[in-house]
Formats: sequence, C-alpha cells, structure tokens
Amino acid sequence: MKKRKNVFVEGPISPSFIANSIEKHQTKTTIGAHNIFLGQVRADEIEDKMVQAIDYTAYQEMAENKFHEIREATFDKFDLTCMHIYHSLGKVKAGEICLFVFVSAPHRKVTFQALEYVVDTIKKEVPIFGKEIFEDETHTWKVNN
Amino acid sequence: MELKILYFGMIAEATNCNEEEISLQSGSTVEQLIHKLNNKYHKLKDLSFNIAIDKEISDHSTLLNANSEIALLPPFAGG
Repeated sequence: MKKRKNVFVEGPISPSFIANSIEKHQTKTTIGAHNIFLGQVRADEIEDKMVQAIDYTAYQEMAENKFHEIREATFDKFDLTCMHIYHSLGKVKAGEICLFVFVSAPHRKVTFQALEYVVDTIKKEVPIFGKEIFEDETHTWKVNN
Repeated sequence: MELKILYFGMIAEATNCNEEEISLQSGSTVEQLIHKLNNKYHKLKDLSFNIAIDKEISDHSTLLNANSEIALLPPFAGG
C-alpha cells in the first residue's frame, strides 16, 4: 500500500515544478517511459465574455480520499513504477497549469492507458469546483463534460 | 436531530453560507432533507447537485443520522 500524498497546490503549477519532478526521476533507472498530462486553464468565451481565471475550491477531505482511491485503483490496474498527481486550489489564470499527472513505467504502452484512466477518473469523481472569472470580475461555474 | 450540512461552489452561493445546522426528525432520509432545503432556498431547485454522506455520494433513500457529515456537491470541475 502506497502512502498518502499531498495533491493540492496553492495557485498554478509552475513549469519549473514540472521540470524538477522529471529531474527527480533520473535516478529511477528501471523506468523506460514517462507520460505527462497537463491541464491548462482555457480562456473560454461565454456569452461574449472571456474567462481570465478559474478559482478552484474543493471538498478537500473527500477529494483527498478520492485521489487516494484513484491512485490505489490505478496501481492495481496498470503495471506502473510510480505516479504523481497535483491539482491547484485557488486562482489559476488562463494559460497557467492547474492539473499535473505524471505516470512512469518500464515500457510505454501502459503509461498511455493509465494516464487516460487517471485523468478521466479525476474529472468524474473528485469534488473540485471551478469558478470561472471573467475580465469584468463577474463569474460562472465550470462543469466537466 | 441537528445535522451539519456543508455547501460548496454554486450551492454555497445559493445558500449564502458554507455550512450550517439543520434540524430534522430522527430517521429522516436524504430526500426529506432535500425537501426542507428546497423550501428554505428556492434557488436550489434550479441547481444540480449530489449529496455526500461521510464523504461518499449517497442516494435519496439513505437514512441520515446526527453524526453524519452531509455535503451538497454541485457538478465537478477538476482538471
């Protein structure tokens, strides 16, 4: 059983954090394939107004339980060496990264399947809420498809 | 019994608070709670949400008890 990890990050996930995470894996030499998903905040146009940021909130305890369950299920289903999930809380501007999923395995095929499974399950099952803030400071609420 | 209810996202906006205590008869179900909340907050009727009891999504026939942590969760938007 893998131990619980912190998933939530305050504000956007920086490119240097992602680079640093890749660098940390250079000592794990049984790995032959990494696969990374980065979710970026989109400047959607909704009823003539442009989204300039998303303010993320979560039912944090339930979300952490769900992330943990997703990790366990992913390791059961796929032969991965390791995986990391980070999600933003608070304000993330359009163009910035709000979700970083990183899976690694000896060979590539399983990383594509695992990555898709993890990202789809996060979107469907984790209680995270997104307030889409427009340039005029009014807002609407994002809903995942 | 007194129930602690948590609200999130657009639901918290409709109720204008993040949490509160609601009193219901012992042995009430999720459905009875929703009925009470719909009467208190008319805007709720137009919103879509799930109810989590002790951090698990529950159906409307589930029995509530005073120790349960109840949360109204609007559609998810992670990622």
